[in-house]
Amino acid sequence: MKQLRIWVFYISLFSLTYVRAQEQDTSLDELPNSILDSLNLKKKTPLSFRFGTDLYRLALNQLNDDYKGFEAVADLQINQKLFLALELGNEKKTKQSEQINLTSSGSYYKLGFDYNMYDNWEGMNNHVYLGLRFAASSHKQILNSYTILNRTPFWPGEEIPINTGYATGERNDLNAYWLEIVTGFKVQLLNNLYLGLSLRLNRLISDVIPENFDNVFIPGFNKKTDENKFGAGFNYTISYNLPFSLKKK
Amino acid sequence: MPRTILNIIFGLFFICFLINCERDDICLETTFGSPNFIILLLDLENNKTRKNPAGFLIRAIGSDNVLTPYFNDSIVLPLNTKEKISQFEFILNFGNENENIDTLQINYKRIDKYINRACGYRSNFILEQSPATLLNPGDDWIKGFIILKDTISDETTAHLGILH
Repeated sequence: MKQLRIWVFYISLFSLTYVRAQEQDTSLDELPNSILDSLNLKKKTPLSFRFGTDLYRLALNQLNDDYKGFEAVADLQINQKLFLALELGNEKKTKQSEQINLTSSGSYYKLGFDYNMYDNWEGMNNHVYLGLRFAASSHKQILNSYTILNRTPFWPGEEIPINTGYATGERNDLNAYWLEIVTGFKVQLLNNLYLGLSLRLNRLISDVIPENFDNVFIPGFNKKTDENKFGAGFNYTISYNLPFSLKKK
Repeated sequence: MPRTILNIIFGLFFICFLINCERDDICLETTFGSPNFIILLLDLENNKTRKNPAGFLIRAIGSDNVLTPYFNDSIVLPLNTKEKISQFEFILNFGNENENIDTLQINYKRIDKYINRACGYRSNFILEQSPATLLNPGDDWIKGFIILKDTISDETTAHLGILH
């Protein structure tokens, strides 16, 4: 797990330097308008539909036995700067903490907008964007086992985890709703192939609390903490762009 | 491209890492664990007043640990979370010729209540209709029981009175 995080960190760093390198190129934008004017042909940007998948979650499947999941991403260009964005996913995660062992599984969707703030050169199509999502999950949680909190253990065997009866078992029909502030970038690797990284700051709006338990892990939202309603997440996507044009005469 | 946008991105990066710190995975020492069972020794004639027996001692059956049952003026006993019963020997006139041992079994149901993700669960108990059974009848010094509070979820009041 630790190795994985280091790995992800390095890839992210490389991607960042790539964007920064490109950023320096844009200083050419500051040339006098008269020079650029002749090049500035007003051209309509074609509409595009982009779809892809989260590589991080795919990698996690291989590296972590306690995780199964995927996320599909898609966005639709509305105008030059604005994109309608959607993420669909399914996750199953088993967590062992000091006192409890649980499995959380379910599906989620995230729907919202991305606003591209990056001024591309003619022919380039990179994105540095800010976005907003409304997200919802439908999930269940199973308490596999737990150890009772006992400050002064007296009887023998009290530290042995309980794995049947009492509070263990499945909690169905759980939901959570939250908002995500998204920031990220998409870099054009090949003509229509994009590599993207996004960071998400999540704010829980509401969730169905499981009986005699809590939503410890919400698919799509990740970890829910006791103290506050914020969470964080990210994805690392590869996506394919499908340009199209609406017939217009 | 404005530099501020990059700053925002790095800022969010930082916040995300902060949130992911495992702070709430540590169970605080101050969190109250499973409650103990609190007994009062009461006078048979007037079961509102306390009466301290002579040469009194309690031993637990089934544990090698040393029982330290006294806290202020009450008797505090740990209940076994693995079983639906806990057994204790209530000894009168300990070490004397007229030593009298009453073996008492406490009967209860266990209910585990969620605290939080770090601490997990604590056990609460509900006393059965007959909260205690004498396992060695005959020549009993314990004459009866009264339930003072059948739900054992805290240690603020006594749960069972023993009449003698």
